[in-house]
Amino acid sequence: MNLDFTQIVPYIPFMLEGIWVTLRFVFFAILFGFIIGTVLALFKIGSIRPLRWFADAYTSIFRGTPLILQLMIIYFAVPQLSGYDISPFLSAILAFGLNSSAYVSEIIRAGIQAVDKGQTEAALALGVPYRQMMTDIILPQAMKNILPALMNEFITLTKESALVSTIGYLDLMRRAQVVGADLYRNFEPLLFVGVLYWSMVMGLTLIGRFVERRLRVSD
Amino acid sequence: MIKVENLTKKFGNNEVLSNISTEIKKGEVVSIIGPSGSGKSTFLRCMNLLEKPTNGKIYINDKDLTDPKTNIMQVREQIGMVFQHFHLFPHLSVLDNLTYAPMKVKKMSKAAAQEKALDLLEKVGLSDKADAYPNSLSGGQKQRVAIARALAMEPELMLFDEPTSALDPEMVKEVLDVMKDLAHSGMTMAVVTHEMGFAREVADRVLFLDHGVLVEDGEPNSFFDAPKTERAATFLEKIL
Ligand SMILES: Nc1ncnc2c1ncn2[C@@H]1O[C@H](COP(=O)(O)OP(=O)(O)OP(=O)(O)O)[C@@H](O)[C@H]1O
Ligand SMILES: [Mg+2]
Repeated sequence: MNLDFTQIVPYIPFMLEGIWVTLRFVFFAILFGFIIGTVLALFKIGSIRPLRWFADAYTSIFRGTPLILQLMIIYFAVPQLSGYDISPFLSAILAFGLNSSAYVSEIIRAGIQAVDKGQTEAALALGVPYRQMMTDIILPQAMKNILPALMNEFITLTKESALVSTIGYLDLMRRAQVVGADLYRNFEPLLFVGVLYWSMVMGLTLIGRFVERRLRVSD
Repeated sequence: MIKVENLTKKFGNNEVLSNISTEIKKGEVVSIIGPSGSGKSTFLRCMNLLEKPTNGKIYINDKDLTDPKTNIMQVREQIGMVFQHFHLFPHLSVLDNLTYAPMKVKKMSKAAAQEKALDLLEKVGLSDKADAYPNSLSGGQKQRVAIARALAMEPELMLFDEPTSALDPEMVKEVLDVMKDLAHSGMTMAVVTHEMGFAREVADRVLFLDHGVLVEDGEPNSFFDAPKTERAATFLEKIL
């Protein structure tokens, strides 16, 4: 057993920068996934059949195939089809966002449908229109079910983001590999970014707990 | 006030209401009774279109509810509904439960809505609960708030679907008392209930439903003392 962490010291700034690179695309992927996911969820609970069908098919496809395959298709196959040379950054946001939206839409749909049907009836009986009922009565209650699950999804996405190293995007994971190749030592840089990933996830977890606690106050 | 003509409701092939015709006059209190599954709730829910009638017509003040051109939301503003399980909005305080619909639907000012709400809370004996959240209330208190919430819209007709069935026995009276006051104040009411005492004392008429058929429609005392049909007699024997 020989471990020597002193050798990675010069590479630390390079690896730390990976946090920023990873977080940047994770942030946009989450945002993108959340917006699309919300729209899909509205399709799913709505009464327009073709939209419902579309949202279900979409979810089935993105949950039913490997994320790495989706990433590869977007990065390698899109240029082949369209001639547009898509950057790793954009591919990553697209793949992770589209994939995440399938899960997010399920989380939101389930959260909304878990709200007692009596709430809808009470609002309708008072003459409250659909949109106001959704925003004022149903969604605030659904949030309690949705937020913890959404936080989990964001944590998963953050960890899975390491997959983008496979398309050459210089994220945390990729940087560890670069340093490893440079030093002919892999354990130390991998362990180092492992700690960084763990810290990021812990950060998200703490934010999630804080939000949950705030929500519970209103009970 | 409300007139039902040949109302039929089917869920798929299951005919839940068959050809019901009746009328409720302004200020009248009507009790709807019958065995479980006889269609009482469905009948009540057709009156504010929470269920869509399969056939027949329902008129409220001569306006046809089943006409596709009728604005359902507008009709519902005039009809209050009280549910067995209250369905208060748990994320809103008692006061906000009462002011929400008047402000959002009737565009009442906040001050006016609050004044009205506090007035109603006093009427149902819950002035001190204005800032409480529904989860902190007892069942009887929740139901009184739910009644006040419906009244806040100043409806012309109030529908009650077994308003005391989910309550502990010691809380039934406080809710029935509120409903009695309401009846005496001249409100038009349709009440699905298993409280035969209430039906006999307070109601002007009793409707007896069985298997979706309106079997009897008459004055309470004669219904309870001398039911005209075998089915009603059997039902009354079981519950009294
Ligand atoms: N949304 C629905 N879809 C299908 N069938 C329904 C629906 N709602 C009610 N039914 C059926 O209609 C019949 C009448 O139901 P309803 O709830 O009106 O009876 P009820 O007299 O109110 O009974 P209870 O005393 O148990 O409340 C029942 O057989 C019920 O299963
Ligand atoms: Mg019922």
